[in-house]
Amino acid sequence: MTGEFVGKGRGGKLLRLRLDWTGDQVDAVALRGDFFAHPEDGFEAAEAALAGIPVAALGATFGTELARHGVRVFGLEPGDLDDAAAAIMARAAGEGAP
Amino acid sequence: MTSFRFLETGHGTAAFNMGLDLAIVEAVAAGAVPPTLRFYCWKPCAVSIGYFQGVRDEVDLDACAARGIAVVRRVTGGGAVFHDDELTYSIAFPESHPLAAGSILASYKAICAGIVAGLGRLGIPAEFAPLNDVVAAGRKLSGNAQTRKRGCVLQHGTILLGVDVDQMFAVLRVPAEKMRGKLIEDVKARVSSCSAMLGRTVGYPEAVTAFREGFSAGLGVILVDGAPTEAELAAGRREAAERFGDTAWTNRR
Repeated sequence: MTGEFVGKGRGGKLLRLRLDWTGDQVDAVALRGDFFAHPEDGFEAAEAALAGIPVAALGATFGTELARHGVRVFGLEPGDLDDAAAAIMARAAGEGAP
Repeated sequence: MTSFRFLETGHGTAAFNMGLDLAIVEAVAAGAVPPTLRFYCWKPCAVSIGYFQGVRDEVDLDACAARGIAVVRRVTGGGAVFHDDELTYSIAFPESHPLAAGSILASYKAICAGIVAGLGRLGIPAEFAPLNDVVAAGRKLSGNAQTRKRGCVLQHGTILLGVDVDQMFAVLRVPAEKMRGKLIEDVKARVSSCSAMLGRTVGYPEAVTAFREGFSAGLGVILVDGAPTEAELAAGRREAAERFGDTAWTNRR
């Protein structure tokens, strides 16, 4: 399934999160928005590492990967990914309800 | 007080403006040039988008094409900006400089002190508005974007001298979610300019004088007039051609 979230999280900047998932597993995540991060290639590596993990582990994994790549992020918090994914999945569950 | 090289490079294309900013921070990182403050403007007018933004999310590309407005992706994050009647600055210095001390938010505030001081010289009381704006009477006059490369800070930002909000929002797509929580939620009402605030036209030359003094006083630095080196200009042109003018770069998200 695929869903997109657009909104502001605790980090304060606009986040657009596109989530592709099967069951409770992430197939792919794309993060776009007004936030800041450096080094940028480290951010992109952390983003790529989100494929194949449980949806419930998005924020924790992203935080770990950012730290592993020495990335400083401003305007976005790892937990914002969990909130966005929860909103997407809640909407999907609502759309699937009778 | 620290000395910074001061460059006033006039108008440039979107791709060259971004290319020269990158060339300067690379030259500062290499120790080839001193810490640098640059003022410039844009011709033709342009939209710049943040490094992490999706170009089609933020920009009406057909409207830009019809109006001859260039679109460029920055190396810095942040939001989309319409560059027309404005003074743009960039500043590059080593992370060891006191302006970079503390948190990223603290460094935004420290650098934006130059903008606040410059606006004060024009007679506009203004303040830093976290995370990365400068506002006067609750209206945004300046947006700023920072990154760090090879041990150096690069921050650039816009200071609106005049603003055509209809043109601005004909080319920018601003989702309602972006304005949520702002004091003024109507995006058109939230933006203003130096000219609108003062009820008279503030031109680029007047702004250069005011903000040169403002950055010197607000940052506590001595500005020494200079010019880009031939190596910086060549690197800026190369980056303009190979990166910032390349649609693959612009469309990468």
